[in-house]
Amino acid sequence: MKIWSTEHIFSYPWETVIKAAMRKYPNPMNPSVVGVDVLDRNLDTHGRLHSHRLLSTEWGLPSIVRAILGTSRTLTYIKEHSIVDPEEKKMELCSTNITLTNLVSVDERLVYQPHPENPDVTVLTQEAIITVKGVSLSSYLEGLMALTMSTNARKGWDAIEWIIKNSERENVSLCDLY
Amino acid sequence: MNSVGEECTELKRDYDMCFNRWFAEKFLKGDRSGDPCTEVFKKYQLCVQKAIKDKDIPIDGVEFMGPNKEKTDR
Repeated sequence: MKIWSTEHIFSYPWETVIKAAMRKYPNPMNPSVVGVDVLDRNLDTHGRLHSHRLLSTEWGLPSIVRAILGTSRTLTYIKEHSIVDPEEKKMELCSTNITLTNLVSVDERLVYQPHPENPDVTVLTQEAIITVKGVSLSSYLEGLMALTMSTNARKGWDAIEWIIKNSERENVSLCDLY
Repeated sequence: MNSVGEECTELKRDYDMCFNRWFAEKFLKGDRSGDPCTEVFKKYQLCVQKAIKDKDIPIDGVEFMGPNKEKTDR
């Protein structure tokens, strides 16, 4: 099992980052996400918005990882649950793969909140637990996958910034961008 | 962005536009008045649920690639 975590700061207020995060795909930095659907959406009794989404991705695993895992399949499905609390200003996302689960599990959690000392800035804390099962070299593979996640996380941050900047540049509200 | 079911992409786009507008202009501003997207969501959902079933996507359970199962590309 490999635990990976990181923190990133966006120089935008929370609402701006959240609007971009809710419409993160498509973007040029994450071409591997090829399909996104909302399975369910509802407000709970505390006024928080829950969304359950299905994502299909071309995993982009290093080919050596695919060779060791013995899979030629590259399309994977991920289930994501997000909760947006507009009063507390907190958005939390949890995702897990729902295919290839006997070989690998990647559980990711992202939390977006205003910076405690500067409300014009947003902090994203991101963590993942990666477990490769049933093959030898599992900790080596987990290490490789953590590196991949690190690279993908950076792309994800760039993607949010890209979405925010694109709406600013064209003077278009984030609603109308796509 | 496409839907997981290609045939649902138009419905998805209609729903996403409605939702994104509501999310930014109402929800984040504390406006709890009704959800204007329920009708379009229903149509979109019917399509998606069918696509999930057709593609055998295990949203309620897990899918295993065991030794006896043929490795097929999805």
